[in-house]
Amino acid sequence: MAAITANGVSKRYGTVTALDRVSLSVEEGEIFGFLGPNGAGKSTFINVLLDFARPTDGSAELFGRDCQADGVSARERVGVLPDGYSVFDRLTGRQHVAYVVRSKDADDDPAEVLERVGISAAADRPASDYSKGMKQRLVLGMALVGEPDLLLLDEPTTGLDPSGAAEIRSILREERDRGAAVFFSSHILEQVEAICDRVGILQDGELVAVDTIDGLRQSIGGGTKLLIDVGELDDATTEAVRGVDGVETVTVSDGTTLEVTCTNDAKMDVVVELQRRGADVMNFRTEEASLEEMFLAYTGGSRA
Amino acid sequence: MNWRVIARTDAALASAPRSTRLVLVLPAVTILAAAYLYPVFGSDPITTARFSGFVDGWLATVVPLTGVLLGHDAVVSERESGSLLLSLSLPHGRGDFVLGKVLSRVGLVSGVVLVAMVLGAGLVVYPFGRLEVVQFCGFVATTVAFGAIWTNLGIAASLSTATKQRAFVVAFGLFFLFVLVWDAIADGLQYGLDRAGLVDGSLPDPVQFVFGLEPGAVFQRVTAGFFDPSASVDGPWYLGEWVALAVFGLWLFGPLTVTYSRFAGSDLS
Repeated sequence: MAAITANGVSKRYGTVTALDRVSLSVEEGEIFGFLGPNGAGKSTFINVLLDFARPTDGSAELFGRDCQADGVSARERVGVLPDGYSVFDRLTGRQHVAYVVRSKDADDDPAEVLERVGISAAADRPASDYSKGMKQRLVLGMALVGEPDLLLLDEPTTGLDPSGAAEIRSILREERDRGAAVFFSSHILEQVEAICDRVGILQDGELVAVDTIDGLRQSIGGGTKLLIDVGELDDATTEAVRGVDGVETVTVSDGTTLEVTCTNDAKMDVVVELQRRGADVMNFRTEEASLEEMFLAYTGGSRA
Repeated sequence: MNWRVIARTDAALASAPRSTRLVLVLPAVTILAAAYLYPVFGSDPITTARFSGFVDGWLATVVPLTGVLLGHDAVVSERESGSLLLSLSLPHGRGDFVLGKVLSRVGLVSGVVLVAMVLGAGLVVYPFGRLEVVQFCGFVATTVAFGAIWTNLGIAASLSTATKQRAFVVAFGLFFLFVLVWDAIADGLQYGLDRAGLVDGSLPDPVQFVFGLEPGAVFQRVTAGFFDPSASVDGPWYLGEWVALAVFGLWLFGPLTVTYSRFAGSDLS
């Protein structure tokens, strides 16, 4: 059964359209990255799933239960890290987890949960004294209580340093391997690229693409990136390369390295052109297009 | 049974700060002080039933203050900070959440009133007073319900506003209007109409009814009509104790129901 099903979900605030007919489906056992610049409507979508916001049109379901009409049972199998939360003022980290354990009628040991997210040393301190990163870890821990079948995480790595973010990613992989669906939003591409089985890209409230990372790469036309070290480089040569058919962008770094993005077919033409101009090619590498470039291509370069 | 988790957590959190404890001590001290003074100043016979008529005026001022202070931040402080989102991310409905809050806050006020009333009854009865169980229990229940009315009014303010500050203003506006200036408005009107020669001594019955809708007035009319043998309620039927009891019920559930239905239908973020 699909963990998340959205059918044409729209949300308008007055004249502003925050979500425009978003339809998608997320299956159990996959990690789905929900990507988009700030303000694209990612949190609004998650808020509809959690019934914090009511859709103007369309409907959403978690495990076949309507998020609005049947919200409580829809959330029973879900662990959540919402946007814009704050921890309870006078509860310790341990008490936070215990509150979730009671609420979900689960039997997790709060100490083990805190250990897993790496804040057991701070278990008995008031959570309001935690740093932003520790709060994120705490709320992620709360989301893990009761072995949920879906993790719904809004920007889970905010406030974490790179190694913290990597720890979180490995937890998410463990959860996926256990069979849970993981749905998380991010505006940070590396996070999504590193871990997601599928990606949805949201732009101005519209879902502009849903695919695997490889699929996105293909659909954008090969999107190869060439890194060419040349002996000497003058502006005329750069211009000439820019003029080759199939070349999208050309930039120069370190004075003598050309970075060229182009279609697969144009690779040789670029090298031939350099030869013809008498440039001395010292080294030649290709890179797959990163999600970042794909993202820019999809969202018209307006990366937040 | 989700509301139980909410109520338990909230009661533990809400009763921890010293400010809450001070607020809760207020009605307890009032009841105990009244129970101590009543045998000294009250007229014979000294009974727990007649004690209700001695203390109800005091309670009509103190209990509303406790109620709004305890109720006004029940929902809005969590809504403003965002911890509400953590609770509602769990399998708790908004109804469970509000019910839990109401039971927690009303429970705190009720518990304090109950304990103080039991101790107060001891002070009234010992050494020369008489315990009249049925009337006294009725009066205690009415006082508990009166506390619930004002706590619910505070929670209603909490449900209908987006910031703690606004909830405070609304809750205190109600307290100020109904408890502090209501009688003065009635007296002023009566004085003015009397001077103008339009009425003779007291306000016309329908106008009295309107002014008598205020929760404290209703509370005192219910007490006088049902529980205090030394007092009586007279006038036309709509000024009687049964109508007062119905109005009492409306105050208990009405404001909360209306504000909850708006809260339940709104976007939280």
